[in-house]
Amino acid sequence: MFASKRLSKELLKMQDHLPPGITIVKSDNLEEWQMDIKVLDSNPLYQNQTYRLKFTFSNKYPIEPPEVQFIECPSTSEHPRPIPIHPHIYSNGIICLDLLSSAGWSPVQTVESVCMSIQSMLTANSRDERPPGDSDFVSYNRRRPRDIDFFYDDDNV
Amino acid sequence: MTSITLDELLAMETNCDRDEVVDLRSLETVSSYDDHLMCPICHCPFVRPVRLQCDHVFCQKCLNSAITAFAASRDDFTCPTCRTPTRGVYLNVPRLLLNMCDDIRVRCPCRNEGCQEIIPRGHVQSHFDKYCGYRLMKCPDSACSKKTRKKHLSPEGRCLHEPHRCLRCDEYIMEQDYETGVLRKALREHIDTCPEVVHPCTASKYGCPVKVKRADLATHEQICPLIAMGPYFEAQNARLDSLELTIRHLQQRNEIFEDGIANIRSTLVQSSRTLAEQESSPANSDPRQESANQSQIDSSNLYTATTTNYLLSLHESLREEVGQLSHAITDLDARASMALMNECLRLKEDMAHTNAAVGSIRMQVQWLLNPRLHQGQRAGARPSNANTGNGNPASASGPSSGAGPSTAFLRPRRLSDSGREGTKL
Repeated sequence: MFASKRLSKELLKMQDHLPPGITIVKSDNLEEWQMDIKVLDSNPLYQNQTYRLKFTFSNKYPIEPPEVQFIECPSTSEHPRPIPIHPHIYSNGIICLDLLSSAGWSPVQTVESVCMSIQSMLTANSRDERPPGDSDFVSYNRRRPRDIDFFYDDDNV
Repeated sequence: MTSITLDELLAMETNCDRDEVVDLRSLETVSSYDDHLMCPICHCPFVRPVRLQCDHVFCQKCLNSAITAFAASRDDFTCPTCRTPTRGVYLNVPRLLLNMCDDIRVRCPCRNEGCQEIIPRGHVQSHFDKYCGYRLMKCPDSACSKKTRKKHLSPEGRCLHEPHRCLRCDEYIMEQDYETGVLRKALREHIDTCPEVVHPCTASKYGCPVKVKRADLATHEQICPLIAMGPYFEAQNARLDSLELTIRHLQQRNEIFEDGIANIRSTLVQSSRTLAEQESSPANSDPRQESANQSQIDSSNLYTATTTNYLLSLHESLREEVGQLSHAITDLDARASMALMNECLRLKEDMAHTNAAVGSIRMQVQWLLNPRLHQGQRAGARPSNANTGNGNPASASGPSSGAGPSTAFLRPRRLSDSGREGTKL
């Protein structure tokens, strides 16, 4: 009840106004939303690319963080959506970002603020690499992002 | 400016939560409000706001949820907005903030029930508690589980959910819906007279296909040829009706006549049959019999042709049988009464005979008694042993046996004896 009320308010506000580079793709239910984000400056890594984020909300949102990850749409489809290359983004779309963990989350955050955080995370990046052990993690991980104990060691991004 | 600890805040929250009836967060706001009046957690205008050391303000309930989610250690709790470590909460927030939040215009929570009120949020609770007529209350009848709007609660505490008959139509509606029901009725009546309603031409029954608004109906009626023909059509209709009526009358009369004819025919059949029987018994064939036979054959053909006639004849024959039976009964009756009469006469004769016999016997007895009486008068005081020699004990036993032979001399003194003698003589 609390979550749906808050999400509907957020949605109303986002339909009214959204920051540049962020668009709503799917928000027809109050459990899973999809957002498209673009990197606005001329970072060569992400230029002319659009990435798709999937938000999954629990009924304790915003007290609990939403589950946020990139999803891939194949390049053959009408709107190809790759997984951005980033030292904190695994190739299966899972994002290692402390504000998405239950420890780093604050109920003050919104879908919009999360999108902007990820946008800025990409903008600031200059390294064309995946996180260390990406292939192992991708092949062995069956856990959901919220259950993974990330170690947030990089304060630069 | 005193702060309370987070634990004290949590304890307070549960106490305060109980008397809150209207959920201020679910109210629909009408006026737009500044984003700064919005709690960053619930995104609603602040409800009972509290302030942290860092001057960030949250609803008490929202901050409570945030603290509970940080269950690990109360000491590590940081401001959700700026992440400043926080241990104390200030309950006093600037009056300005409270006033601005309370001034936001909202709709009454009973809007779905029909309340159109738009009120400052600070007055919602009192409006809901005291003034809103659309608040759903429990029915005063404890047996009734329905809810009723506050304004419909009757002062006598009656249940308004019983169906009542509408005064205008025959529908049954609940007493609490009576007002809206009546309004709907008024609307229906208005539709009957509204000039904007599309109405067919009054000559539509004669085939005019025109349908116009009631206001334009008059102009159409001036040019409609079927309306001009209307009186003629009506006269024709009336004529047709009267003709139909007379036809029906005639049909009825015709039926009566047919019945009568059938009756007459069946009686004719009967009479001709009896005639034929009478005439066939002498066994001489004269032309009259032949003609009677002929008519009998004809009529018999006719009456077997129709079942009605057959039934009628059956009825007639039954009636005849009944007549015969009644005749027989009267015969029997006469015979029985004759027999009775005979018996009576015979009995009367017998009685006369016996009477005569009794008379002759009396004569004989008197004749037998006379000499004895004469003898007694003459004997006087003579010992009456002659009594024993009396040949007729039946007549002697009466006066003399009671006295006995020893008292025979006393007998003349008895009044009864002398009286009897007098009568006998």
